[in-house]
Amino acid sequence: MKALQFKRNIGRYAAARIAGSFTPGRGSSVGPLKLADLDAPEMPGPDWVQVRPRLSGICGSDLATIDGRSARYFEPLVSFPFVPGHEVVGDLADGSRVVLEPVLGCVSRNLDPTCPACAAGHLGNCQHTTFGDLEPGIQTGSCHDTGGGWATAFAAHPSQLHPVADTLSDEAAVMIEPTACGVHAALKAQGAATIAVLGAGTLGLVTIAALRAQNPDAQILATARYPHQRRLAAQLGADHVVAPPEIRRAARRHTGSRAISLHTDDGAVDRLSGGVDAVVDCVGSSESITDGLAITRPGGRIVLVGMPSQVSLELTPLWHREIQLIGAYTYGTETSADGTPVRTFDLAADLVASADLGQLVSAVYPLNRYQDALEHAAGAGRRGAVKIAFDLRSEKERDQL
Amino acid sequence: MSLITRSLGRARALITHSGFPYRSAPTPNGVAPAPQRSRLGSDFDTAWARRYPARLTRAALVEGIMRPTMTILADPRVYGQDRLEQLDGPVIFAANHHSHADTPLMLTTIPDPWRHRMVVGAAADYFFGTRIGGTIAALTIGAIPIERTKVGRRSADMTRELIDDGWSLLIFPEGGRSPDGWGQPFRGGAAYLAIRCDVPVVPIHIQGTGRILRKGRILPQPSSTTVTFGDPLVAHDGENARRFAERLEAAVAALADEATTDWWQARKRAHAGTSPDLTGPQAGAWRRIWALGKNDRQTQTRRRRWPNF
Amino acid sequence: MSSNADPYKTSNKHLAPRPGFVLDVDRTSPPILFHHGDQFKLEKLPAGRSRVIYPPEPLEGLADPEGAIRHALANPIGDSEPLAALLRPDMKLTIAFDDISLPLPPMRRPDIRQRIIEAVLDLAAEAGVDDVHLIAALAIHRRMTEDELRHAVGDRVYDAFAPSGRLYNHDAEDPDGMVVLGETPHGEDVQFSRRAAESDLVVYVNINIVSMDGGHKSTATGLSGYTSLRHHHNVHTMRNSTSFMDRENSALHASNWRMGEVIRDAGVKIFQIETTINNNTFGRTGPLSVLQKREWEWNAKDRASFIAMQKGLEVLPSKARRKIFSSWQAPYEMTSIQAGEVEAVHEITTANVFKQQSVAVEGQTDILTMGLPYICPYNVNSIMNPILVMCLGLGYFFNMYRGKPLVREGGVLIMSHPTPWEFHPVHHPSYIDFFEEVLADTTDPIEIERKYEKKYAEDEWYIHLYRNSYAYHGVHPFYMWYWGSHALQHLGRVIVVGGDPAAVQRMGFQSASTLQDALEMASDVVGPQATITHVKNPPIFMSDVT
Repeated sequence: MKALQFKRNIGRYAAARIAGSFTPGRGSSVGPLKLADLDAPEMPGPDWVQVRPRLSGICGSDLATIDGRSARYFEPLVSFPFVPGHEVVGDLADGSRVVLEPVLGCVSRNLDPTCPACAAGHLGNCQHTTFGDLEPGIQTGSCHDTGGGWATAFAAHPSQLHPVADTLSDEAAVMIEPTACGVHAALKAQGAATIAVLGAGTLGLVTIAALRAQNPDAQILATARYPHQRRLAAQLGADHVVAPPEIRRAARRHTGSRAISLHTDDGAVDRLSGGVDAVVDCVGSSESITDGLAITRPGGRIVLVGMPSQVSLELTPLWHREIQLIGAYTYGTETSADGTPVRTFDLAADLVASADLGQLVSAVYPLNRYQDALEHAAGAGRRGAVKIAFDLRSEKERDQL
Repeated sequence: MSLITRSLGRARALITHSGFPYRSAPTPNGVAPAPQRSRLGSDFDTAWARRYPARLTRAALVEGIMRPTMTILADPRVYGQDRLEQLDGPVIFAANHHSHADTPLMLTTIPDPWRHRMVVGAAADYFFGTRIGGTIAALTIGAIPIERTKVGRRSADMTRELIDDGWSLLIFPEGGRSPDGWGQPFRGGAAYLAIRCDVPVVPIHIQGTGRILRKGRILPQPSSTTVTFGDPLVAHDGENARRFAERLEAAVAALADEATTDWWQARKRAHAGTSPDLTGPQAGAWRRIWALGKNDRQTQTRRRRWPNF
Repeated sequence: MSSNADPYKTSNKHLAPRPGFVLDVDRTSPPILFHHGDQFKLEKLPAGRSRVIYPPEPLEGLADPEGAIRHALANPIGDSEPLAALLRPDMKLTIAFDDISLPLPPMRRPDIRQRIIEAVLDLAAEAGVDDVHLIAALAIHRRMTEDELRHAVGDRVYDAFAPSGRLYNHDAEDPDGMVVLGETPHGEDVQFSRRAAESDLVVYVNINIVSMDGGHKSTATGLSGYTSLRHHHNVHTMRNSTSFMDRENSALHASNWRMGEVIRDAGVKIFQIETTINNNTFGRTGPLSVLQKREWEWNAKDRASFIAMQKGLEVLPSKARRKIFSSWQAPYEMTSIQAGEVEAVHEITTANVFKQQSVAVEGQTDILTMGLPYICPYNVNSIMNPILVMCLGLGYFFNMYRGKPLVREGGVLIMSHPTPWEFHPVHHPSYIDFFEEVLADTTDPIEIERKYEKKYAEDEWYIHLYRNSYAYHGVHPFYMWYWGSHALQHLGRVIVVGGDPAAVQRMGFQSASTLQDALEMASDVVGPQATITHVKNPPIFMSDVT
């Protein structure tokens, strides 16, 4: 089996961190990630099946790992060596196409009874991600036992798999997983009349699409750095798209607030007197969360979708303005308008189809060119791209299994 | 401070008490002094003080010593310099007079084209009473002797020559420093010279120098001052010196009013003829001093001497 | 001495000023000085097809301005009594005066306004008038700071009136301070300062730097607000003002004149005092005098000072350059003063403006070039942002014509200015939003007016800043864009030499790094042998195009 494997190697990890800080994505060439010929993972349990990936996306969290930027928080939640890749559309042995819901919850770990979160269907909140029959790993793509999507094969529990409708292309199907993240986050901002989405990478764009679908009357502001991001953000439903440094003024204009300057005479817009009802932060940096705090109205909320790592924040506005800062991680089961539970992945699949999110896949690469692929993904915005994926459909090892 | 005063006093005593040959010997009693042509008073020759070597020395003194001293001591605020914008050629500056600080203050605040070609009318009896005093006065401030009481023919002719030659004149028409902080009536000299020489008079009001070096004091005390320049006045056809002097005094009184209240009040009172009198109330000494306290402009706060870091 | 002199006599200190003229560029012509924001460039124009219009030299100023002021107040023009006869002790008197946008750059002290206001107040003091207010007639411009007011009216007037609240900036958004006087036959609301409307006499003190200023526009615009302004500060009016510097052919002025009648009929008595100045912007002598000399007349000293200035400015950071230039005060001299009834006064004023500024030019050109200076009416002591660059080039300089525009319809305008993407956040807050939001959407004035104007005009924050800080009103950047709308419609292309590409592109223009590149780019529109005309402004002048 051909796979990209991530080994524990402190020296290479440090090298990746240095290389990645100069050129994002460059960590792939010096870091612990290597193209290798491995044995296909053994099935961890009796129900498990083998999936042969067709397309496997590159996610922001993958890039953070490769460039050595990911938080130490994750160290106990992964098991080395592992094969990354959790945005996967693949084939089963019978030839049917599936997408992977990568979270490794209690069911896949063969834990019974399950934790309360898993019992309620909130897989993302599983409390037992380091226990059970599997090595630690919150998702496929960070667990040694299962393998991951950046390979010609990996193991999956049936509870993780969703069949793909024939009408969906592979490109559309590979967008279901990130879209599910956006749908889950957007639901946490539901009911807001004015919403600002910070960042227009993959997550930002699918979140805009999800917000628009869920809140037809809401006024949605978005920040986008690059022209194609602006175009897509507007097309997917943002009413006003501005450059990131312009968000405070834009939020002021569209909420009819006034601006407050820290230094009375310099005219800077440091924060707003009012602001938007909700901010969905798809960047997760100190700057973006600070922007969020500056433009959220008292009593409003900030949904953090972008993975933040370590940030430095002034939290006085959070306290003084009673702003809620909420995390939004992956997906699971949502409550629909009529109160019935519905899987986030099902909502995401519908949205991918209706909003044509397959268009966000900008380029695909074979595994051999993984360094190019990762650099392209890391510089996606600058290079006019959104989602970069590995294309495993024509890997010859795929058929040798 | 007292140390300085004491040593100054001792130095003065030393000079006063040291005799011949450090000082000239007095004429013995019963001997008639040798008749000699007076070279003092209004006959003092000051032409040398208007030639280049003396002018350069004076300019250096004004810029190098007087200006820094005045900045520290008097911290002058100057108003109305723009009123001189249209003037061209020599003029007579007429200011009220509180103290010896007035002259250096004028020498440093009168604007450029006039400052460097200006003589100061100084009391012939006071400044030009001795050769040394006269020489110092002529050199340092460009003084020319003018009689206090009535301008003599010689002074008038000399002034006219100087003015025709392009020199401006600074004169204090009160004829002497104020004894108590209030002004004294203007004498006709400045007006008379202006009419004779056919030049405009610029009225100037000085406030605050009395606190620096009042008559009878030796050591200066820093205090903020205000200098207000007024619109140039020209004698009307047929106006005599007395009337013109009254008009001049009224103009300075209006400037005093402007310095204590504001320009609009001052203009209204000037037109109504109700500008406060420069000479103060005609009353007992204590009431005059009492009334003096009101003359400080309330709205003004002291300017900082140190830069704000 | 001076009181008996003829106040209309001008001082004869200088050689007789020469009129403006048109230079045909040939191989022997020197490179021409281009203003380039707060820098300078020398540009060689193509021989044989270029010409340069030079401004007239500064006329002599009045020898005795104070005397001339007194004479004007005592001998009014048109249907008006002398000012002294209009003043009574128990009356309400309001003196309104032009704001910081005039003259440009600010003039040396004493400002003309100070001289006139002091003369007017002296008469008022003589008449015993107690109730006097002084208002900076700034319409929706930013408020003037204390220093700026002191500079305009002088310390004496400021100290006498400002502390008691009787000298202040006009506030067009004060709900209690504004009143609607009526409507013109064209349905235009006439909004006016309540204090001025309720006064027994309004004395207006004006400085006419260009022919657009003055007349009924002084009060009908200066003392009004958005309710009135929107009727003439709009795209339709601006496109029908050819040009707005030529009152007879200006829809802007027609509207103001209609409003002036409504104000008059409402019983507001106005005593208008108008003045003209010469174009002695950079001085006959001094460090900047080289800027108003003709290149072939630069002597060794001029050349040395120009080179030193040009090189020096190059190495300075832009902030330091701005500081140097904003400290420059022009030695303007008053060339005429007339007072009395508004329309009669303004006739004479405009004639006097043209006497200084008019240059006869034969025929239009394919390419018009201009070097934009560091200042326009709205960035005194501030930053010249890209919108103001557009307004100065396409609004003011383009419209400095009578007859026909200098450039033919479909021609190209090339302006030289660094056009940095930079704004003064205190003075121009709504400009930033206009640039980030409105121009990112569209540059079409009609579309801008329809879609965004109302929102910006009524934005509470802008109103707050206009009233309490030193900000131009929220709608002001729209007026800047409308000011150039006639040019936008007329021109085939606009190219900015040396401009910041992002900022220039945002405004829908093209940027070029050199004048040669710009001329090359222009040839796509007007052909390779197109005629070129350069307006060597400033010092400011008007082209009479036949």
